[in-house]
Amino acid sequence: MDYAIETFSLTKVFSDWWGRDKVIAVDDLNLRIQYNEVFGLLGPNGSGKTTTLKLLLGLLYPTKGRAVILGGDGADPKINAKIGFLPEESYLYRYLNARETLDFYGRLFGLAAKVRKMRIESLLDMVGLKAVANRPVGTFSKGMARRIGLAQALINDPDLLILDEPTTGLDPIGTRQIKDLVLKLAERGKTILLCSHLLADVEDVCDRIAILYGGRIQAEGKVKDLLQTNKKQITTSDLSDTAVERIKQILQDEHAQCEITSPMDKLETFFIKTVAIAQEHAQPTSGAVSTTQIGDFLAAASSGDNILDKLVSATVSEETTTETLKTRQVVPTEVPESKTDKELLSKLSKTVEPAQPKPVIQNEKIKTESVEPKTFEKEHVKKSILDRLTGRFAERDEHIEQAEENKSQTGDAGDA
Amino acid sequence: MRSIWAVAINTIRQALRLKIAAAFIILLLILLPVMGVSVTGDGTLKGRLQTFVSYGLSLTSILLCLLTIVVSVYSLTSDIKQRQIYTVITKPIRRFQFLLGKLLGVALLDIALLFLFSIIIYGITVFMPGFYNATATELTEADNEFYTARASLAPPDIDVSKEVEEVYSKLKKAGQLPETMSYNEIIKQLTSVTKLERRAVAPGYILPLLFTGIKPIGPNESLFIRFKYDVAVTPTDSQIIGRWLVGDYRQIQYGEKSDTPIYDATYKHSIRTIHEIEVPASVVPADGRLCVAFANPPINNTVVFFPIEDGLEVLYKADTFTGNFVRVVLLIFFRLVFLASLGILAASFLSFPVAILFCLVIFFTATFSNFVIESFNFLGRNLSSVYSYTVKPVIQLLPQFDKFNPTKFLIPARLLSWILVAKAAALMVCVKSLLLLLIALLIFSFKEIARIIV
Repeated sequence: MDYAIETFSLTKVFSDWWGRDKVIAVDDLNLRIQYNEVFGLLGPNGSGKTTTLKLLLGLLYPTKGRAVILGGDGADPKINAKIGFLPEESYLYRYLNARETLDFYGRLFGLAAKVRKMRIESLLDMVGLKAVANRPVGTFSKGMARRIGLAQALINDPDLLILDEPTTGLDPIGTRQIKDLVLKLAERGKTILLCSHLLADVEDVCDRIAILYGGRIQAEGKVKDLLQTNKKQITTSDLSDTAVERIKQILQDEHAQCEITSPMDKLETFFIKTVAIAQEHAQPTSGAVSTTQIGDFLAAASSGDNILDKLVSATVSEETTTETLKTRQVVPTEVPESKTDKELLSKLSKTVEPAQPKPVIQNEKIKTESVEPKTFEKEHVKKSILDRLTGRFAERDEHIEQAEENKSQTGDAGDA
Repeated sequence: MRSIWAVAINTIRQALRLKIAAAFIILLLILLPVMGVSVTGDGTLKGRLQTFVSYGLSLTSILLCLLTIVVSVYSLTSDIKQRQIYTVITKPIRRFQFLLGKLLGVALLDIALLFLFSIIIYGITVFMPGFYNATATELTEADNEFYTARASLAPPDIDVSKEVEEVYSKLKKAGQLPETMSYNEIIKQLTSVTKLERRAVAPGYILPLLFTGIKPIGPNESLFIRFKYDVAVTPTDSQIIGRWLVGDYRQIQYGEKSDTPIYDATYKHSIRTIHEIEVPASVVPADGRLCVAFANPPINNTVVFFPIEDGLEVLYKADTFTGNFVRVVLLIFFRLVFLASLGILAASFLSFPVAILFCLVIFFTATFSNFVIESFNFLGRNLSSVYSYTVKPVIQLLPQFDKFNPTKFLIPARLLSWILVAKAAALMVCVKSLLLLLIALLIFSFKEIARIIV
């Protein structure tokens, strides 16, 4: 089987001036990353993540072993043409402005002037730096520089994207956007190697992960497999005490233990919402303008005979509409109301998209724990419980339907 | 090629936007016109012109040399140190292309700046007579001795080796050889003494010297006898009276009748300074064999001789000032190309301050290469074999900036021939710069870019 990246006992030992071994940065690493996979390389500081990337790209030479990347050598220009690389920090030419920076990298790829110009505009749109495109990169904040760094890595429409700590220095919206972008690129058939110690980033986007420590792989596998538990989580909108009691009753009948709490809204969600409101009021900013420009970029790029871009543009435009809709709902009515009398729409959904702004701020969270090992029949039973629950509340509260709709839309967009 | 070009353009932007080049440019833009107005030289128009061109070109050359060193070294070391190179070298560009791009960028910047400043210097030089309302004589003098390009001919070198051998064996028989000197040194000294004897004239005698291959542009032009007197006994007024005969060699030497006229004049000149006598070009016979004879009248009462190096030569107009100026600027350009390659080599394995220092040392050594080479030869005379296989080849690699010094040609309005330009190009660009660049490429290709060395 062919791998996008394969290493064979890759070892890197840093020696001092006298040739004495000092640090074993990467130790006998055998990494296999398949095509069209989002692979996360995790590890604490100094565990050899970045060194591994540098070895892959030919910035360092291995002491022992070798690395095959897209079927070739990472230092070969032909291979480089298919790779996008974002280093741990955005190392940019301070005296170039954003547009010139991208133009420079575009030229290195030998892109024709027309293609280059088009891609630059799309990328600037995408990373939200179009308004500051003529400012020298040296005056950018760290997050803005990061965005340019990312744009730089995408200018050649790479098959393999190597991202080293892509979200450092980015605001939560930027982080969210990068995560979305990674998922979208994966959908387009790109292979992505993501290197991070921010676990949330990795967890959200990666298909497979490896945890590196001391230059060795300590654990490797699919995220789902590694994190699988037998617990189930049901999130609802605010419930009356009687309803909670009845649910408890049902669960007791099923011999399941349950724990009921009122979860806080994620700070990330709250933050994104606040900024979205400010943007709606056209608050001026000298920083990066975070909108859902990803869709614009991809749509624009698709006109330049980039078929893959077309795939994504559709889903994104949908996302845009839902987001504005939600924001409008939230601001005037729901927020104060929910704080006072907790009479809100309910929603039972197994998957919750945490990052998307929701019309409901306070949810009742019911955590259940299955007493017996999971079987197919149990699954089936639980499904019927859910049906029953939703059915009842629908009868009781006429708001439910609307909430349900919103929720499912949000869920869809998030999944996309 | 596209990627080389991208790197080159980026290098130029870096030099301009980080204001590395700005300091040099502003300094030159102010200094050159100021110098043009303020120079006086020896008070004559020619003196002003010579002083201006001398200082102007030297200053431009030195500042551009320094600029080239700084830009080429900074451009590469900062890329490595600030790690922009991580994002560049992982793009489809080979490492040699990256270095060539840097070199091309520096070279283009040099071409642009050199062009700008040469135009300024040239303009001021050409329009200077207008600023001063120079007199007609001053103008003629400037036209003849500055706004021109004169080829120079030295008297043919005479082979004196046999004579020297005889003197040596004679001295050896007599046991008068100095014990502290080696054979080579003795021979060398004897040779120079013998040669000087051939260019010495006792009072009442005449020294005829043959110059061949003289081809002035036209018969209405002038020839110039450029000479410097040296004497055995200094006269009271430090001046020498000399009678100069210039014409067909056969007529002066053998008394044959010639079609061309013979120039015959007597002058009084101070000793140990360079003088020029203007002679009409019509005295040159068709075959180009010209005799220049110096008669030492008995009244001088001392032996007069012409130093080997610059004692006596014939100058004649062979090209225009403009042509010469262009070639001189080319010489400066070759120098800059060499320094750019040197800077890139230094930056490929040294950090910024060390690389700058390294380049400056090479630059100043090259500027005084003659002195350096001679002193090394002198020091190395006792370790001949070790020296000639180790230090000597390395020393030979030094570019000889003083040998190709631009002002050496423009101030005496001496022709810088295309042959010499080609020689300089071959030596400085094709051999030495290329060698440096190859070493740099080799080092850079095998270097671990991401390796941080503290």
